Amino acid sequence: MFHVSFRYIFGIPPLILVLLPVASSDCDIGGKDGRVYQNVLMISIDDLDSMIDFDSNCLNNESNFFKKHSCGDNKEASFLYRAARKLKQFPKMNNSEDFNFHLSRVSQGTLQLLNCTSKVKGRKPPSLGEAQPTKNLEENKSVKEQKKLNDLCFLKILLQKIKTCWNKILRGVKEH
Amino acid sequence: MTILGTALGLVFYLLQVVSGESGYAENGDFDDAELDDYSFSCYSQLEVNGSQHLLTCAFDDPDVNSTNLEFEICGALLDVNCLSFNKLQEMYFIKTKKFLLIGDSEICVKLERKSMTCRKMNIVKIVKPEAPFDVRVIYREAANDFVVTFNTSHLRKKYVKELMHEVAYRQEKNENNWVHVNLSSTKLMLLQRNLQPDAMYEIKVRSIPDTNYFEGFWSEWSPSFHFRTPETSITGQMDPVALTISILSFFSVALVVILACVLWKKRIKPMVWPSLPDHKKTLEQLCKKPKKNLNVSFNPESFLDCQIHKVDGIQARDEAEGFLQDPLPSQPEDSEKQRLGEGMQGPNWPSEHPVFTPKTFIGESPFRCLAGNISVCDAPVLPSSRSPDCREGGKNGPLVHQDLLLGPGTTNSTLPSPFPFQSGILTLNPAAQGQPALTSLGSSQEEAYVTMSSFYQNQ
Repeated sequence: MFHVSFRYIFGIPPLILVLLPVASSDCDIGGKDGRVYQNVLMISIDDLDSMIDFDSNCLNNESNFFKKHSCGDNKEASFLYRAARKLKQFPKMNNSEDFNFHLSRVSQGTLQLLNCTSKVKGRKPPSLGEAQPTKNLEENKSVKEQKKLNDLCFLKILLQKIKTCWNKILRGVKEH
Repeated sequence: MTILGTALGLVFYLLQVVSGESGYAENGDFDDAELDDYSFSCYSQLEVNGSQHLLTCAFDDPDVNSTNLEFEICGALLDVNCLSFNKLQEMYFIKTKKFLLIGDSEICVKLERKSMTCRKMNIVKIVKPEAPFDVRVIYREAANDFVVTFNTSHLRKKYVKELMHEVAYRQEKNENNWVHVNLSSTKLMLLQRNLQPDAMYEIKVRSIPDTNYFEGFWSEWSPSFHFRTPETSITGQMDPVALTISILSFFSVALVVILACVLWKKRIKPMVWPSLPDHKKTLEQLCKKPKKNLNVSFNPESFLDCQIHKVDGIQARDEAEGFLQDPLPSQPEDSEKQRLGEGMQGPNWPSEHPVFTPKTFIGESPFRCLAGNISVCDAPVLPSSRSPDCREGGKNGPLVHQDLLLGPGTTNSTLPSPFPFQSGILTLNPAAQGQPALTSLGSSQEEAYVTMSSFYQNQ
């Protein structure tokens, strides 16, 4: 009897405390009226989308990122947070100045609107991908180009997901 | 120890008082009085050169010695924390693509890397649009208006696209008498009737952000455009078709008026205001119609008291024959007429002479006319057929009246009736000269008796 009571007192409450944050949202979204998104972020997303010129094959490239993270109910803010942090990695690529500025505006502007907890902030940002060892310069060059194409393809899909998620948030605000 | 602590506290307090003597801001910060001279204002222009934005700041006091002063902006920037301004004469500006356009920035005036004064500003709330250009005015003669068009570089921008424009125009003679018109498009119509003819006008345009996110100040005025309004001439502006129609309508109205005046008495007035017909003439016309040889006259000498009753034809004839066989005194025509005339005197006659109304005789007694040359009036008879008989009877001999007519002095006398019916058929007794020998046939009812002759005499 005494061992059973110990289990209930010291076992279950901590379990509840650990599980509660999983069900709740980690971030709060500012600018739900849509003015910031429609006047600034959406313009940069559209410009980036026009700069990334790919064929339809790009859509079939499903990354592990999208398998892990999606714009589900009550998870819109956390998805946008992770997507914005993912975008921060792209300016490091050798792109045009306007391209990088638009990327920075989308990522930085999204992060400024979101107010996330330290738990979410403390997570290690997902990396784009690890470089594979190459045999010679030519192979290295082709691999880099392929990697750049894959990253741009991933970026295009990510931007579309971000746009869809913002539309979902604004639609939910209008219904309420 | 206590005394030492108190002394130190007093010293520090005095130091604070002395150092803050020159200025104490409302928010509790200690600011030097000289910092008030470094007040400044800024405005931003987005996409002024491609995707580059421009931020311009200047001191409010133009007499400020800005030799060693610098401006710096921190916050709401892309990939950097702060940016420094460039100086051009008395203006400080920065041209960059690194504005985040989300959130507030802090702009500070620095003197040798030391912040003298700072202000928190939002780049999207201090937007000053570029001035409109290419203002043109085109006159449309058909519409009698002026079309004002202008151009603005913001039509091709991505961020500040929606603007509110203000058009101001005035007659060059009237200084400072500007007329302002607000519009959101780049086209305006000015009606010719609202402008003075043959006058010189000046027009200019400016803009301001009109979105729910971007706000700011009015732009500079566009370069003015001058135009002259045309002269107004009646003949020149009159449409030939309208002129023709107006002339034709004028003449048609005049013709109608003339015709109305000419035909008023003969045609129009009788139709609009018909005259009442004369009853005598109307009756003459009515009587003329049935028989052509019928002579109808309203001469009282030819009047005869003829009453028309509904009678049974056969019985009336038999009775008439039987009646005619009895000797009846004849009366001289003159005395008879005198009595008739006496009997039908003036308005008092009905009261002196009780009479029978024709109503009592309806369906009861046949009509009788008795004369020297007896001509029996057939019954039922029409008024037209009876009247000549009645007239003849009046001329030739005694008369038989269905209505009782009593002369003066015979009011209470009852006259014997030769007929078995109750209706009063009057017979003239020729023996009683000077007195009307009228017999009453039974009815003691006094009824009003009006004849045509009495009606005529009453008139």
